[in-house]
Amino acid sequence: MFRFVVRRVVQAVPLLVLISVLVFALIHAAPGGPLEMYLANPNVRPEDIERLRVALGLDRPITEQYLAWLKGFIVGEWGYSFTDGRPVLERLLERLPATLELIASAVLVAALAALPLGVFGALKKGGWLDHTTTVVSFAGISLPVFWVGLLLQLVFAVALGWLPSSGRASFGDGDLTDRLSHVIMPAIVLAAVHAAAWSRFLRSSMGTAVQQRFILAARARGIHERRVVWRHALQNALLPFVTVLMMDAAIMVTGAVITESVFAWPGLGSLFTEALARRDYTVLMAFLMMTSAAVVFLNLAADVLYHILDPRVSVR
Amino acid sequence: MKRSQDRRAAWTAGAVLLLLAVTAAAAPLLTPYVPDGIDLANRRAAPSFAHLFGTDELGRDVLTRTLFGARISLVIGLLAAAVTAVVGVTIGAVSGYVRGWIDNALMRLTDAMLSVPRLPLLMIAAAIFEPSVPALIILIGLAGWMETARIVRAEFLSLKEQTYVDAARAVGMQPVRIVVRHLLPGAAPAAVVAATLAVGRAIMLESAMSFFGVGIQPPQPSLGNMLYQAQTSMSTEPWLAFFPGMFIFLTVLTVYVVGADLGARELR
Amino acid sequence: MTEVRRCVWFLATALIAAAGWVACGSDVGAAGPSNDLLIVGYDREPDLLNRFSTHILEDIHSCVIEGLTTTDENMNVIPVLATEVPTLTNGGVRLRADGGMDVIWKLRPNVAWHDGTPFTAADVKFTVEALNDPNYNPESTDGFDRIESVDTPDSLTAIVHYREIYAPYAIQFFRGTFPKHVLEGRDIDRAIDYNRNPLGTGPYRVAEWKTGEYILLERVPNYWRGTEYPKIRRLMFKFVANTNTRINQLRSGEVHVVALVPWDKAREVRETEGITLHRLVGNSYEHVTLNQREFAPFRDVRVRQALVHAIDRELIVNTILDGLAPVIHGPIQPPSWAFTDEVRHYPYDPGRASELLDAAGWRDADGDGIRERDGRPLSFTLITQAGYAIRENVAQTLQRQFRDVGVAMQIRMIDGTAISSLWFEGKFQAMLHWWHMPSDPEITLFFAKDRIPPAGRNINYIENDSLTALLYASDRTVDVDERRSLLWEAQRLLAELVPEIPLYNVTRLDAVPVNLLNFRGNPTNTGIFWNVHEWEIR
Repeated sequence: MFRFVVRRVVQAVPLLVLISVLVFALIHAAPGGPLEMYLANPNVRPEDIERLRVALGLDRPITEQYLAWLKGFIVGEWGYSFTDGRPVLERLLERLPATLELIASAVLVAALAALPLGVFGALKKGGWLDHTTTVVSFAGISLPVFWVGLLLQLVFAVALGWLPSSGRASFGDGDLTDRLSHVIMPAIVLAAVHAAAWSRFLRSSMGTAVQQRFILAARARGIHERRVVWRHALQNALLPFVTVLMMDAAIMVTGAVITESVFAWPGLGSLFTEALARRDYTVLMAFLMMTSAAVVFLNLAADVLYHILDPRVSVR
Repeated sequence: MKRSQDRRAAWTAGAVLLLLAVTAAAAPLLTPYVPDGIDLANRRAAPSFAHLFGTDELGRDVLTRTLFGARISLVIGLLAAAVTAVVGVTIGAVSGYVRGWIDNALMRLTDAMLSVPRLPLLMIAAAIFEPSVPALIILIGLAGWMETARIVRAEFLSLKEQTYVDAARAVGMQPVRIVVRHLLPGAAPAAVVAATLAVGRAIMLESAMSFFGVGIQPPQPSLGNMLYQAQTSMSTEPWLAFFPGMFIFLTVLTVYVVGADLGARELR
Repeated sequence: MTEVRRCVWFLATALIAAAGWVACGSDVGAAGPSNDLLIVGYDREPDLLNRFSTHILEDIHSCVIEGLTTTDENMNVIPVLATEVPTLTNGGVRLRADGGMDVIWKLRPNVAWHDGTPFTAADVKFTVEALNDPNYNPESTDGFDRIESVDTPDSLTAIVHYREIYAPYAIQFFRGTFPKHVLEGRDIDRAIDYNRNPLGTGPYRVAEWKTGEYILLERVPNYWRGTEYPKIRRLMFKFVANTNTRINQLRSGEVHVVALVPWDKAREVRETEGITLHRLVGNSYEHVTLNQREFAPFRDVRVRQALVHAIDRELIVNTILDGLAPVIHGPIQPPSWAFTDEVRHYPYDPGRASELLDAAGWRDADGDGIRERDGRPLSFTLITQAGYAIRENVAQTLQRQFRDVGVAMQIRMIDGTAISSLWFEGKFQAMLHWWHMPSDPEITLFFAKDRIPPAGRNINYIENDSLTALLYASDRTVDVDERRSLLWEAQRLLAELVPEIPLYNVTRLDAVPVNLLNFRGNPTNTGIFWNVHEWEIR
């Protein structure tokens, strides 16, 4: 077990280096750089731009810049933001809680929606409920996120006035109710995409579980149907479900880019859009490396979890 | 009896999808207007007999733009899915057949591409290239080949172990022939399902990229950029967002339902 | 089956109950604007609050840090921390025999930094030296690099010695000064404490900066204008980048003020109860830059004149802009003291446009609807910044109107940063955009022939000797009347040359509560908060 984990971690290192090369090249290939934002100010002259370019090291060859970045990244010196001069790590960490809060809420909403949809779908395959859940779950992935987001705002915030239109909390941090009322719309929007996939997944793995021998045996022994479904079949289907959940949670950071922008959610997604608009190279690199690493390690964790929970799967 | 009932949803979805596609393809025959026919005297007109879906900020007919936009979006969806399929199948096939260090290198690249968040990657990439229809097709297509590659590789690995492949090899069949005759047909159903789902995803990605202004350029309409432009007037002229939104919804929904049905049959 | 049904009902009930609980429990109607708290919906989070280092508009900064002068709603320069604006007449400006000049700033007595340290001429001197120090990287050193030295004969007098005559001297210190006692001997680029929470002399100080969410300002207890100022206790700047979301927040009462409402959002804001739209003709103008270097046909003045005649600007303004911004005819805007409208106008006249193009040798010989000359079609690409619905609509209308006189134009939307690098290097054919114009009418940077990139912003690549001479002469003239007549002549010449196509004034729309007193707005990049100390909710 230990050797398995060590091997996977070691394998992740070259993977992350490869990712960093890809991402670094791409970011620097995009036209414009961190200095262009200054040009909006009429007082900024070409001589100012040249002075800043040299001062910030942007005049050096790209490979040199990459190696300098890589060296810094490994020893934990992630550099300073081109935008506000603060350490990059500080900028990312202060945004992390908001994104985690949004993703956790979205995972919860999506799981709560996917569970009944998936279970009932599996139990009554081909029935009206199954068809309905299929259509409902696909509807979730068939609507553009920003469109749904703005529509929800117009209905629940502007027209009805039930929920705040955006932001994370009212001024003064708000109590639990206040925070819930802020997170509910973005969480639903972010969850919609994954609820569909998850309910499909659960439906098929429940379907498989229900057919399995020990479930048939349980039925044969006369155990109540409700107990068979909820205790035995679901428990079996939940294991792969949880691993999918973990892997998708990392991917949600991507979905959060749009959701956070529409709902003015102060998380990593809005930091990314802002950093991309200003070509804040150090922040962009750190963001992309952090999210990629999160995907890599959550995948790894999902594998490990799978091995721990399901002894039938061999560690090799 | 049971089986035909099972597939009712898929047949309905397929029929709706076909209808949408035919309507979009026949757009020039169905509408008296042109998609960039500006009429500033007749802006923001609500739906009426003259303009069934109303007019937009520049007085252009929304029905016409929706149909022409759907054409572009469908073309992007289909061709990007084709790019995804070709790249994915090639990489998966090479990886699964050749094995060794090439397999290793290709799979690490796949892992790397899968780990980087897709939309941010596309947003950066779209800033590099001029956003034209071909560029978007290639970009969106290249952002999604990884799943297909993995599926095809897995299929290849399991098919290669089977006796008829061994037999083919034993009688001295060329590797290329083995791949084309025996392995690819075996992996095809799974790849088709993946490609179907890729169509829906490509249409959604185009609209997401339009949200950040890096999608199809005006005056050419796409469903994505129409929705993006309609954002500002969602509460004053809701029809501008409603019709293209419904078109995307129906298209992607039906594509997914059909794809899921194909996938379910494949699993049996 | 009953099992399934029961579960569905249970879940549905639970969801509705949860939604109801959240909806009832939350106090969304949010408190309206009051003298306790005014919430401003702001389009972006500032990078820094150091006015010399930031590269965004300084609205928030200007509530904390005051300049020696500022500009008011009519673009007059008015004193703030100075007792008066130095001029030739009042003896505050002296022209030296060596071609340089001295500006004598008299500082207001009894002004203290928020920590109680007196504000003195030493701070002015320190600021100039800090900005000219190669180890500090301010956004711009414009003007400061022409200063030779600063003398401080007493604690309330700073004499600034310029190497040459510098006409915009009066707004040299509108960004205020650094507190010497805080920043002396420090690396200002890395002085995060100051850059995030600067020490100022203004009516407010930073109480809290919650990154990604808001900056909260609170009034200072002993403001130098008197303890009755400022009237509003707390000011919150809430960051909402998405324009539609920002307007939605205004409509639902979650924010009270939104500056720079886009014209196509005006209808929605007007319907909002308790909110009024404050309209002010601005100091910027939307225009089409015609790059003569990249697209040679623009070098012919007849082609440029034809393009202006081809556009129905009144129609564009009255439809797409809902009549909210006026058509203009040149780069200097109505609020400026140097503005004149007595220049050549180019009314909408497609017939005249066709004649001019014919005369210039551009004819549609092959009947495809596009004119050509020597076998090359009159076809160019217009770039403009993505993300602005109005601009996209204007660009598409221009495309149509040019097409009507046989000129082909393609449109390309480009993100803000990429477009900056394109124009900075002059790599485009035509561009639809506007500049933030400084309150001083110094337009040399945009039209002088030696100011083409990389030496300036003459991205029309217009090279005209008399225009260049006029502009430089005006920059080196301190006397206002004399400078005005030079600039009038420059404007008349610009209207003849039409190096670019002027479209309309960037008229400001600011949404504020109806019961907000003393809101006056501001047409320049000074921002609307220049008189925030007087603001009061009735």
